[in-house]
Amino acid sequence: MNPEPTSFPAGLPEVLRAPALTVGKVTPGSVDDQVLRFPGQAPPFKWYVAVACTSAVAALGMALIGYTFYRGIGAWGNTSPVFWAFDIINFVFWVGIGHAGTLISAILFLLRKRWRNAIARFAEAMTIFAVMCAGIFPLIHVGRPWVAFWLLPYPNQRGLWTNFRSPLLWDVFAVSTYFSVSLMFWYLGLIPDLASLRDRTESRIRKPIYAILSLGWRGAANHWRHYEKAYILLAGLATGLVLSVHSVVSFDFATSIVPGWHMTIFPPYFVVGAVFAGFAMVLVVLIVVREAMDLHNLITDFHLEVMCKVILGMSCLMGYAYVIEGFTAWYSMNSFLHHVFMNYITGTYGWAGWLTITCNVLLPQLLWFRKCRRSYPWMLLVAAAVTVGMWFERFVIIVISLHQDYLPSAWRIYKPTLTDYGILLGSFGIFFTLVLLFARVLPVIATSEMKADLPGAQPRHGADHE
Amino acid sequence: MNETFAVLGLFDSADALMEAVPKVKARHLGRLEAYTPYPVHGLDRALEQRRSPLAGMVMVMGVLGALTALLFQYWISAVDYPIITGGKAPSSWQAFVPIMFEVMVLFATFTAGLGMLLLLNRLPTFGHPVLQAKAIRGITRDRFALAVEAEEGAGDGFAPVARAALEAAGARDIELLPAPARGPWLTAGFIQKSLAGIAVACLVSGLVMYGAVKLIPVLPPMSHMEDQPRLDPQAQSTFFKDGRGMRMPVAGTVARGFMPPGFASEDEAARLVNPLPRTPAVLAKGRAEYQIRCAVCHGALGNGIPTLSAAYGAKPANLQAPNFQAYSDGRIYGAIVLGKNAMPSYAADLPEDARWAVVHYVRALQRAQNAKDEDLK
Repeated sequence: MNPEPTSFPAGLPEVLRAPALTVGKVTPGSVDDQVLRFPGQAPPFKWYVAVACTSAVAALGMALIGYTFYRGIGAWGNTSPVFWAFDIINFVFWVGIGHAGTLISAILFLLRKRWRNAIARFAEAMTIFAVMCAGIFPLIHVGRPWVAFWLLPYPNQRGLWTNFRSPLLWDVFAVSTYFSVSLMFWYLGLIPDLASLRDRTESRIRKPIYAILSLGWRGAANHWRHYEKAYILLAGLATGLVLSVHSVVSFDFATSIVPGWHMTIFPPYFVVGAVFAGFAMVLVVLIVVREAMDLHNLITDFHLEVMCKVILGMSCLMGYAYVIEGFTAWYSMNSFLHHVFMNYITGTYGWAGWLTITCNVLLPQLLWFRKCRRSYPWMLLVAAAVTVGMWFERFVIIVISLHQDYLPSAWRIYKPTLTDYGILLGSFGIFFTLVLLFARVLPVIATSEMKADLPGAQPRHGADHE
Repeated sequence: MNETFAVLGLFDSADALMEAVPKVKARHLGRLEAYTPYPVHGLDRALEQRRSPLAGMVMVMGVLGALTALLFQYWISAVDYPIITGGKAPSSWQAFVPIMFEVMVLFATFTAGLGMLLLLNRLPTFGHPVLQAKAIRGITRDRFALAVEAEEGAGDGFAPVARAALEAAGARDIELLPAPARGPWLTAGFIQKSLAGIAVACLVSGLVMYGAVKLIPVLPPMSHMEDQPRLDPQAQSTFFKDGRGMRMPVAGTVARGFMPPGFASEDEAARLVNPLPRTPAVLAKGRAEYQIRCAVCHGALGNGIPTLSAAYGAKPANLQAPNFQAYSDGRIYGAIVLGKNAMPSYAADLPEDARWAVVHYVRALQRAQNAKDEDLK
């Protein structure tokens, strides 16, 4: 697909060399010219077509949310005993999508995986947009979103305080903290790039905007030392946070007594699933961006291949979690749990269970083959399957567990309405609209991080630092 | 003419910059500062900059955040609003851990981000001389600058000497940066003061509001007409001598539909005549009441085969038996009012006309179960 990358250092045999993270001749100046030209250019026609499509879908979702406000929650299929359905599925799904961004930007930073530099900015942006999409759903799910601020503990004339023993309140804190921290992390990374944009552009409109957003960054060595310290501290904090957020989301389920939810495996299982789904989404968007913006020399086949390997590893962990779920159902000798688990694979919604297993465990096994890790059609097939599979995994957990629990007289089949489907679709529209806007407005690759890791970027006698 | 702020020279690589730093430093002209497009490893040591104190600040604020969250939750859950949920004690600290963790991360993150930008780096600074220099376009792109800053009262001799030192070290495109004519108003200090002012204002107004809500009794904004000057049932009252808000009815008061029966035994009741006409409406009412009150024990057909009473060990009467067929209407009425054997009085459950309607219905059941040929005509 591309010319073979030039690895370095050149003297070593191939297996011992650090993998080349760029193709061809890439200098600090060329990175700027390549990445930072996009915000100054008029977007191509196809970009307008794409934005028109995604924003139309987003508008449809918004309209249906408005209709929900007008009609009430009755516009959805939620009914006794399935009071949590698409709303909570979508919430868990989108929060999960966000996790890949934090994993790439924080955990891989701490592990000094240099390949993260090229994709971290994009993944972080996707985190922020995904958490924004996720935030919509609990708010509209409360039924009266205009009083959703009651979730916040503040002194009020109602004389009431929130219940700090409820995992739903933990969620409020976890998700809002996650959003704030992701935004801070993203913005800190953007500051040097915004300064580069400020000093490149001649536009009288954009220059002051970049000047204000970059806060007068001037690249002083004195500033960089604090900046680097702040960045690594934030990476450490975000690492703990990313593990905690989806754990807290899983507490919503695990601390209840619904059979199929009340399991100790839930926190790690949810975190792995989140990273899994998020990587698949990052992969899809990255492939599109790489092709559309011609970034083959910065986002190389190697990057995509490593991401495929992460997806494969996560897929195996998911398979393990599913097996353990079944094992728990059997070994616990709890007939309710047993019933729910059999429902996952044989009940009315048994097809959803099998779809989940196929998409999340079986199909990603294709990535064992190097050919699949290097070919767009296979990668896109697996990534799309994982996205579908992870959505249905939450469907399986939430709807199947709820629709038949302890009281057989209360069992009922859940049917989503068109409004449910429309809002789900709309959230994808919102997400991709934001991604498209981001791709044209801000640098899609963290140029200062890329420059710092180019061969020869660091002084030779500073090499003991590495 | 303005004072000189610094003399700045550009290098093309990090290596060239690192080699130049000790050469210029040896001349002891003034404070050195480097400007680079990305962090250059080892530059802080070459420039003898101290380690960043940020980690300590973040640590302190993180611990402070966790403690704040713990105390906040404890005070709300155990002191101000102690409501037991999930069978947990009001001070169940284990449940507070997730939010402690989140608030710790939140405090630490904002300390790391804003502390770095505002406090340590004193950004935003829009009027810095380097931002006005021609060199800035290279600095944020791919070139490396070294600036020799003039000390107080360095005089006119400083600039040529510094220029010569940078030239000797290999710098190119050397520039002289004049000190800014006036300080910019939007500085980090200004922003810090504004933020601190806003924070103090929020805190003060929050405390004042809280005190006002707690100390000054105010009506809840919407009481939905519940709050009225009347005596509610079971309420106390100082108006009456016995201190009760509720009154006993006047002696001899009779509730509608509950006229005292006027008999003390079934025999006395036997004389009574059913005052209700035998219409479909009355029979329907009797049927409804019978099925609610009577059928549980006497059976839907009145034959004493019960649906429920086996559990009580009672033997309900078979109303189809000849002795009950022979009962007068008044006697059945009397049994309903007074009760019979294990059966309690149903006077409180059935108003007067309902009792008589039930009597009609029992008669209808008796006739239906013992129908004769002529009934078909």
